[in-house]
Amino acid sequence: MPGTTIEQEIEIIVEDTGGGGGKPPARDGGGDDGGGKRRRPWNPSPRRYYTGVTLGILSILMFFMALASAFIVRRGSSSNDWMPVHIPAILWLNTAVLLFSSLTLELARKRLASADLSGFRRLWTVTTFLGLLFLTGQILAWRQLIGQGIFVATNPGSSFFYVFTGLHGLHLLGGVGALMYVALRNFERAKLTRQVAAEIVGHYWHFMDALWVFLLALLYLGK
Amino acid sequence: MAYYESDGNAGRRVRPGAWPVIPRVFARRYLFSKDHKTIGLQYLGLALLCVFLGMAMSLLLRVHMAWPNAGGGLLGSMMRGLGDSPERYAALMLLHGSLMVFFVLTAAPQAGFGNYLLPLQIGASEMAFPGLNLAALWMTVVSAAAMTGAFFVAPVIGVKLWVASVAIFSLAALLGAINFCVTTIDLRAKGMTLPRLPVTVWAWFINAILSLLIFSIVLAACALLLADGFLGTQFFRGAFGASPAANWQRLFWFFAQAEVYVAMLPCFGMITHLLAMGARRPVWRERAVVLALCAVGLLGFCIWGQHMFATGMDPGKPLLFGVLAASLGLPASCLLASWFGTLWNGRMRLETSSLFVLGFISLFLTGGFSGIILARHDIYSLRGGNDFVSGHYHLVMGVTATFAILAAVYFWFPRLFERRLNEGLGKLHFWLTFAGVYCVFMPMHWMGLLERGRAGAELAYVGGGHAGGWSLFISGAALVTVAAQAIFLVNLVGGLWRGERVYVCNPWRVTTLEWMPATPVAERQNGASAASAAVVVHRGAYEFDESGNMDDYIPQYISPERVASQHASKMR
Repeated sequence: MPGTTIEQEIEIIVEDTGGGGGKPPARDGGGDDGGGKRRRPWNPSPRRYYTGVTLGILSILMFFMALASAFIVRRGSSSNDWMPVHIPAILWLNTAVLLFSSLTLELARKRLASADLSGFRRLWTVTTFLGLLFLTGQILAWRQLIGQGIFVATNPGSSFFYVFTGLHGLHLLGGVGALMYVALRNFERAKLTRQVAAEIVGHYWHFMDALWVFLLALLYLGK
Repeated sequence: MAYYESDGNAGRRVRPGAWPVIPRVFARRYLFSKDHKTIGLQYLGLALLCVFLGMAMSLLLRVHMAWPNAGGGLLGSMMRGLGDSPERYAALMLLHGSLMVFFVLTAAPQAGFGNYLLPLQIGASEMAFPGLNLAALWMTVVSAAAMTGAFFVAPVIGVKLWVASVAIFSLAALLGAINFCVTTIDLRAKGMTLPRLPVTVWAWFINAILSLLIFSIVLAACALLLADGFLGTQFFRGAFGASPAANWQRLFWFFAQAEVYVAMLPCFGMITHLLAMGARRPVWRERAVVLALCAVGLLGFCIWGQHMFATGMDPGKPLLFGVLAASLGLPASCLLASWFGTLWNGRMRLETSSLFVLGFISLFLTGGFSGIILARHDIYSLRGGNDFVSGHYHLVMGVTATFAILAAVYFWFPRLFERRLNEGLGKLHFWLTFAGVYCVFMPMHWMGLLERGRAGAELAYVGGGHAGGWSLFISGAALVTVAAQAIFLVNLVGGLWRGERVYVCNPWRVTTLEWMPATPVAERQNGASAASAAVVVHRGAYEFDESGNMDDYIPQYISPERVASQHASKMR
């Protein structure tokens, strides 16, 4: 099999040269760019995932706070071109769905903690489904507004409505992807356990939940 | 060591299956390597490319200001290639500014040196998320390409493309910042407590936190601007409506303000570190320096961030630059005090890197003092803070940061490539650049030519009427300064190609972990590979013995027992 031999050759080459253009005796973790890493077992603590997601949440929060400030300032500075958007009733239903999904997610994690894997899978799937239901509901709300002739560019009020819901939906879609990842991934040989992954995704999901409540309140009170 | 033979072997082995193998190995080892060292070098390479592009553009602008009617020859034809209108002039200025600010001043000290050195200095074998790191690198490259492309398309699309590439850059910076923070928080080696972190690591860490907050806001502003541009919304009324020339500038300064702190913080860190290493003394009042760095970050966020929140991120309302600069005053004087404290009674080794460090301090002082005077004078007498920006901004931010980057290049080159740069050429490069920079910016400051610097592209474009002897002098000095950078380029290429090899692990005889020697071969053969022999840190980052002996430093990885035994053997 020529293919495999080539693969092996690559491995050998990478192992041997170990330092690009040839270097003097390498220091620890130093000159050997490509090859050294391969030999080295690299197992940093799984805590980095917590920290990473926490910081990610912080920057997303900052992002939406900046948008919220733009909303407040724009609302305050415009005298005549601002028309309040009447929030479609379906949004309240969506909110209930999203809040309920946070509950099912926590229940699923409880099942996982008591080693009930099938129960976990069931509730986790329900959570994923509720998340998708929320997104569908948001699209329905958009369609309702479009039906009333309110588009993105109609006036600043409607622009903010679409931008807030759209960007939040995009972030939530990422959350749905993460839920699916936790459900489908085989964790036997992974660097982190399913419990840890579920907990981290849970943090993100609850954050998205709270963020939505904040945005809805902003849109409702600030119209 | 066996590396020479293995090198030859590798060459022979590749040949049989050559075609499919070489590109694949190349792609895996260089283009898509997740190794933090490779990625750091790639950022530095990008910065090098952008700095020379940007410098060529500034030269073009400068030549045009001094000799606006230079019609003939190569230059003239290049001018005409610009489209020969105030708008193109403004667009070229924007391209110069954005390449320099985003891909040199922001990317090189943080993403370039930080990626390469931060894991090494804290004793980690990789960044926390290598895949994310690679993604950030390629997003930065795409953003650089798009920004350059924005100059060549029609202005209407160009502005949007430019904003989109700023958004991509911000996203990449966010990913990088998360990576830096997590690496510093979770991946430190055993014994590397926070007080033992080198000041460089502190600076990169604080800067990462600051970037995390600032670039989120920049990203939000870009999102709204793009919605205005593409969806026809009206978040910022008239943001795309005004004359293109004014628009380019307004957008640029709106975003560039955020970069003042983000670019300067890692430079402060590197300068403090290199100064201590050069002066062979511990950083004077190290804790105060760390606090000052925190203060720079905090003030940066509070002032810029608060402004953004207060104006709803409206690019039409640029922040008064003087306020930003003045807010740097207090922490900057703390840093200056520490630098002088470190230098006090120190026996500074005047290698090229140390020269650039001293040059940085000198320029920072001059820039700071003249800034205080000029800020008062200019902000009141000219229309708005913006006119004062150009010359001063160049001196304080652009040139000083470049000096810090150059100092870092000269210092860490042996670590990066195991070769040395030529000291003679390096010193020539330093003195020419140092003198040239002063010749360019001092007359600019004192003649008030600054007023013309950015008083509107139209004015600068028609600037022929003002072009007196001083303007010629400045343009000539600028030419010499830029020409001096050719020496650096020659030195760099020469150093890479056939620079003197460095066989010792710690050529500057300094204390931090990136210069740590390999585990002895015998140990490695006993099953304990170089990697699994974990790094343990025993002491702070700046332990120098001031008695001036040969062994005047104790590296962080040396255990107290080894110090004691060495001491004992010396006594005998």
